Amino acid sequence: MLKLITLILALLGTPLFIIISALALLSFHSVDIDISVVIIEMSRLAETPMLLSLPLFIFAGTLLAESNTPKRLLNLSHLLLGWMPGGLAVVSLVVCAVFTAFTGASGVTIFALGGLLFPALIKDHYSERFSLGLITTSGSLGLLFPPSLPLILYGVISGTRIDHLFLAGILPGILMLVLLIVYSMTRSRTGRKNSIRSSRADILAGLKESAWELPLPVIVLGGIYGGIFVVGEAAAVTALYVLVVEVLIYRDISWRELPAIMTKSMMLFGGILVVLAASMATTNFLVDQEVPMRLFDLIRAHITSKYTFLLLLNLFLLIVGSMLDIFSALVLILPLIIPIAEGYDVNMIHLGIIFLTNLQIGYCTPPVGLNLFLASYRFDRQVVELYRATLPFLALLLVALLIITYFPALSLFLVNL
Amino acid sequence: MIRQYTRIVHIISHAVAWLEEGLLCLLLLAMILLSCWQIISRDFFSGGYVWIDPLLRYQVLWVGLLGASLATRKGKHIAIDLASYMATERAKPWIKLAGDIFSTLVAAVLTVAAIIFVRNEVQFSGDPLLAIPSWAWNMIFPLAFGMICIRFLHATLTGLAAMFRAKPTSSDEYGGTP
Repeated sequence: MLKLITLILALLGTPLFIIISALALLSFHSVDIDISVVIIEMSRLAETPMLLSLPLFIFAGTLLAESNTPKRLLNLSHLLLGWMPGGLAVVSLVVCAVFTAFTGASGVTIFALGGLLFPALIKDHYSERFSLGLITTSGSLGLLFPPSLPLILYGVISGTRIDHLFLAGILPGILMLVLLIVYSMTRSRTGRKNSIRSSRADILAGLKESAWELPLPVIVLGGIYGGIFVVGEAAAVTALYVLVVEVLIYRDISWRELPAIMTKSMMLFGGILVVLAASMATTNFLVDQEVPMRLFDLIRAHITSKYTFLLLLNLFLLIVGSMLDIFSALVLILPLIIPIAEGYDVNMIHLGIIFLTNLQIGYCTPPVGLNLFLASYRFDRQVVELYRATLPFLALLLVALLIITYFPALSLFLVNL
Repeated sequence: MIRQYTRIVHIISHAVAWLEEGLLCLLLLAMILLSCWQIISRDFFSGGYVWIDPLLRYQVLWVGLLGASLATRKGKHIAIDLASYMATERAKPWIKLAGDIFSTLVAAVLTVAAIIFVRNEVQFSGDPLLAIPSWAWNMIFPLAFGMICIRFLHATLTGLAAMFRAKPTSSDEYGGTP
């Protein structure tokens, strides 16, 4: 009865960590285990080796989002890619993807870049519907590229190696990007007419302007795969580097603004941490009660093929992804899915990529995908209008999802190299 | 009387938030510098202090729980918010009130659980770090959950006061920022 009330409140906007904690407390109490065990489980979260990288990457991402980096990045990509047919659309997609990878898909992309890109796309004679669709979809496009937060979180929860996950996301991420780029090129009304040829001097000036930000991906990836430091340390180096560059070199952010940005980023991390901590307790209770195994037996009685299972998993995750934001979905659903997927012999790295691709698409799926509402809020349009605008993009992403699901090699190729 | 009460609450809540924010920023900076120092000292001097890694683990907990406490103040917790799409305007304050009351209760039980946890740590203490016993490092659990509980209680009272058309205690608290 109490559990039912809890679940109803969950749907009505009560903080998720309260809901999960309540379930954990009730569950342990019902089997006569002392409630302090919930806190013990929470404190065990600190032993997760990769946990440290979360606050540091979140801080770096928030700092980047608050600085003028989006503007500089946009300017440079325009100079470099503007010559292509549909140049601006291509630029938008690439910049959004890179930006989302560094800031996590918390909607920052739509707010930070959407406002700059939307008027520019309209000015470049793209239809309003196309431009809206493009920006809404791009809000979560870079999710599979390192060092995206959801990838790290998947690694933390599933206990998979994060450096492997980073590698696995690259090709599937590029696949989605390329599909959308090709589509955007065909939709460019001006073709090459409106494309710009930047002079060498302009490009050089643009490169010089972003000279301090360009090495970031190299630092993150080069450091990890060059064996200089591990993922957790890469986060620290990234945080320090971004701090020095934005505050001391570009001076986009003054010392006075810094505490507010730090607090803001740590509130985000705190929100994730308590949900994660509470779910550690609930998950362990469920595992103790062998719930995942019973679920697996139930499903296996009806589905024998791994591929049918994956298809159903896709459908299930698309629905979940359109209702929950990515952090809640990972924390709530993943611990239950992992043992089942293991039963069907699905590779854990591959599962991660499937999982995140679904959640990324879920973000733009009607009726309640989060990106749709963010874009509706940001551009002051009816949500229904955005449903229509995102449909072609959604179709392409679904094609990519099928390829990613049924060709594990795409995800595992770089890992096995 | 009520006005005096609200003013005192207002001042205290601001002071506490200021303290929490200050501590949060210091901890975050320390985390960044310590982990970078760890890389430098390991890669270049093949040394490094053994206490840095466990210290960083505690710092992550402190930063996260303090952040969660502040997130409660601003109403920025992760939630599945179907109510804001479906509920009528009239029902919304009631739904929020029910959620706040429930959250206060759960946070109170969590605080009790955390106190039991710390008491057990005092009795069967784990390894001390930097000569500080493990229970002291884990004090953040009761502290943070206690603060979260007080903040939900405050939100509940504010919500009730608003319903009875009394003057809300303060505008920048829970739910104050969109």
